Amino acid sequence: MSKTEYVSPEGLRLDGRRPMEMRQLRAEIGTVSRANGSAVFEMGNTKVIAAVYGPREVQNRSQLINDHALVRCEYSMANFSTGDRMRKPKGDRRSTEISLVIRQTMEACILTHLMPRSQIDIFVQVLQADGGTRSACINAATLALADAGIPMRDIVTSCSAGYLNSTPLLDLNYIEDSAGGPDVTVGILPKLDKVTLLQMDAKLPVDIFENVMGLAIEGCKAIANYIREVLLENTKQLEYRRGL
Amino acid sequence: MVGLSVGEKHFIQCGIAQDLRLDGRKRLTYRPIYVETGIIPQAHGSARVRLGATDVIASVKAELGKPSALQPDKGKIAVYVDCSPTAAPMFEGRGGEELSTELSVALERCLLGGKSGAGAGIDPTSLVVVEGKVCWDLYIDGLVISSDGNLLDALAAAIKAALSNTGIPKVDVAAETTGDEQPEVNISDEEFLQFDTSGIPVIVTLTKVGKHYIVDATSEEESQMSSAISISVNRKGHVCGLTKRGGAGLDPSIILDMISVAKHVSEQLINKLDSEIAAAEASEE
Repeated sequence: MSKTEYVSPEGLRLDGRRPMEMRQLRAEIGTVSRANGSAVFEMGNTKVIAAVYGPREVQNRSQLINDHALVRCEYSMANFSTGDRMRKPKGDRRSTEISLVIRQTMEACILTHLMPRSQIDIFVQVLQADGGTRSACINAATLALADAGIPMRDIVTSCSAGYLNSTPLLDLNYIEDSAGGPDVTVGILPKLDKVTLLQMDAKLPVDIFENVMGLAIEGCKAIANYIREVLLENTKQLEYRRGL
Repeated sequence: MVGLSVGEKHFIQCGIAQDLRLDGRKRLTYRPIYVETGIIPQAHGSARVRLGATDVIASVKAELGKPSALQPDKGKIAVYVDCSPTAAPMFEGRGGEELSTELSVALERCLLGGKSGAGAGIDPTSLVVVEGKVCWDLYIDGLVISSDGNLLDALAAAIKAALSNTGIPKVDVAAETTGDEQPEVNISDEEFLQFDTSGIPVIVTLTKVGKHYIVDATSEEESQMSSAISISVNRKGHVCGLTKRGGAGLDPSIILDMISVAKHVSEQLINKLDSEIAAAEASEE
């Protein structure tokens, strides 16, 4: 058991945040002009770009589905995204798993039956990794899908929470994540109030788990508010540019 | 990318013949260049360059390593480019590998000089810490986020900007070391050595469409090219590297003409790039 204090006696974490405080959020829509939809999402030092290509014709005929759209996703990390330079940016097991997770989460909320026999590609590129990359990717993918105009049931937002030094902590950064304590990642559909993604590692007693999950869900709802503001602002900009 | 119709192809070719391209530029005009430095805080140096819709990031990381036995007084430099699938769906999985390798090798050829390290843009002897034992390994990573033609020029500009932004930490070597022992090194967190980037070349790619050549082609113009030459020129006007792409044959006199055009264009490009980098560094502070 490490003796490092992740929460000081005054209640401050290693980066000066309070236990229930999220990192600073920043989002930008439309960065990759060639994509149908794209977005950059930053949660503290974690920075992620998502690009959506679709709906378009299915490239691989054998994967064509007759009554709904095919959703594909790829997650890759840049060589320079982590502290030590990574040798293999794609194709390792963690990337494959996260690609699968993002695909399943987004597939649940896209109205795929409206676009049969077509394909939607979601590509996520991590520029800087400082904990919570999974959540940042899902948030960025939501914004990119909205930018592409793809019909969705609801936006999906995701946030992580942990439990260190007997305190539930919201939005772990890399140091806190590597501390060996539990890490709960939650993805929700905020308006419908449904959980679409739930992952946890390490162990937690069940009653504390309910607390930590509740905290993560609160974080997701806060991110959802921020995302809605960003989308509204973006639409106002578009209206303005069109002279409406 | 959606294919071009016959009419569109004809329009591009005739426009270039009349010195008026799709976006109104002349044949030898670059798109506006935007440079941002220091965007990756955990790297030793980084920069992002936007050339129209082409968007690339370059980062420089230095790690301590052992110099090779054949060249004990030189550090090692490696350039690696990755094409992100966000730039084009065909870069997904291993689809972008061919283009990434082509770009990495072309950049290494232009920046690193010959096999013995002679004529390199970056002097490898400045990277050695203890001769024969400890040296800096410089890893230059490029990432293509959005592609609209002319990736090589944008990457070379990003690498130049990232190297201007790079601070190699100062290393204190422990005094007494004998024989094959690895010396103790103490990497300082405070002091940094800035690179001298005046010797680093830029790359000018001339794309031949019909009878004329254009600089800074967009991806639509690149689809119409018969051949292209990428020439790396440094501040002194010396040619540091050359790559010809495309299957069409070129008369040698045309190649010489393209080289002189590239040298002429590179002067303006180097000046523009230097002023953009200086502005970016100033605004970063």
